[in-house]
Amino acid sequence: MINSIIRYSLSFILLILLQVLLLDNIQVSGYINPYVYVMFILILPFDIPSWLLLLLSFATGFLMDLFSGSPGMHSAATVLAGFIRPHILNIISTRDGYEPHSSPSLSVYGFRWFLIYTTLIVLVHHTALFYLEVFRFADFFRTMLRVLVSSVFTISFILLIEFNRRGK
Amino acid sequence: MRNLLNFLARYNNLIIFLFLEGMAISLLTTGNSYHNSRVVNGVTRITHGFEERISNIRNYLHLRDINANLAAENVALENRIDRLVKKEDSPFTYVTDTIYNQQYFHTTAEVINNSINRQKNFFTINKGRLQGIKNDMAITCGGGVAGIIVGCSENFSVAMSLLNLNFKLSARIKSNGYFGSLSWDGRDYRHAILSEIPQHVFVTIGDTVETTGYSAVFPEGVMVGTVSDFEKKGGDFYNIKVSLTTNFNTLHFVDIISNLKKTEQLGLEKLFQ
Repeated sequence: MINSIIRYSLSFILLILLQVLLLDNIQVSGYINPYVYVMFILILPFDIPSWLLLLLSFATGFLMDLFSGSPGMHSAATVLAGFIRPHILNIISTRDGYEPHSSPSLSVYGFRWFLIYTTLIVLVHHTALFYLEVFRFADFFRTMLRVLVSSVFTISFILLIEFNRRGK
Repeated sequence: MRNLLNFLARYNNLIIFLFLEGMAISLLTTGNSYHNSRVVNGVTRITHGFEERISNIRNYLHLRDINANLAAENVALENRIDRLVKKEDSPFTYVTDTIYNQQYFHTTAEVINNSINRQKNFFTINKGRLQGIKNDMAITCGGGVAGIIVGCSENFSVAMSLLNLNFKLSARIKSNGYFGSLSWDGRDYRHAILSEIPQHVFVTIGDTVETTGYSAVFPEGVMVGTVSDFEKKGGDFYNIKVSLTTNFNTLHFVDIISNLKKTEQLGLEKLFQ
């Protein structure tokens, strides 16, 4: 228990640092803004109480907001992602269910399952985030393109990290 | 209470989610000036439509009060304009420059002898050369033309009355500016004849006839009388009967007007004759 708390705290810090120090400074174009920190919400264990999940999501987003100077934007998106996560897990659950005391991972549940899981949550998160950022529907399809392109990059990064995690 | 607790236990997820999401959105809208302005604009756009309709109806219902207010305001403004105008006008009405550029000089006199029943009438006034009276000065009475000084002694002057067959005056119809020659036909002390007004001019009974100032005797715009009758006689000109302003039968106090620039004007005109 203590062990897992330390492990998650460590990955939390690492993900935030990766996001803030590296990815936020990559400016390829206005369309590509990968937000990999959302991975922290993805890898939390299955049996985490939903209130804790929501609080942790909020904390993650709030920290990101502090770093990016946009109060409430990331918080709203991550809280939505945290809220939607149990429902998505229910929908895409495998035939024999999830093992208790484990967390969603590529090595246990396979590439296909993990890709679907990641894609759904990242899409929800990015859609909320980008539409909150522009805060209007005037450039609806332009924003949608940004969501899709950025999601592709975010998912790629998350899969890269997940492959390395499996190697450990 | 039990139901409430059940409800909370059942939906605690949703409640926490809504709470946190609401917090995030409120942070978003208050913390970022851009998002804040977007929200405020959106809300005001919605509420503004309703408020506009309500205020339109309210305006219609209050038209009576609004009209009353406007009328009161109008009155107040008009009063103010009157005050301001008087203030502006006062320098022109109360200050007269007696040294520079004054053209006419007025003085008063009393008629001591008068006649109206001859063909060539004269009257005598009680001021003469010693009082500064000279030949060819104009005489008016109560704002109307009376005559011209034709001879002066030391203390008396004789004036040719308008009621004199030799009296000629340049006069015009005020409404249209056409000028002609005014003279007396020797019949009636209340009427004179204005001739040389062309027949294409529109003349109506009651038109004002006034002096032109061309003769350098009378100032411009001194009242002569009003048109009482007119006829188209033979040629090209009207024969206009003018009812005189001055009542020569009761002539008593008169104004004598001297043109200070008369010699200058006549001297200049003489060069071209």
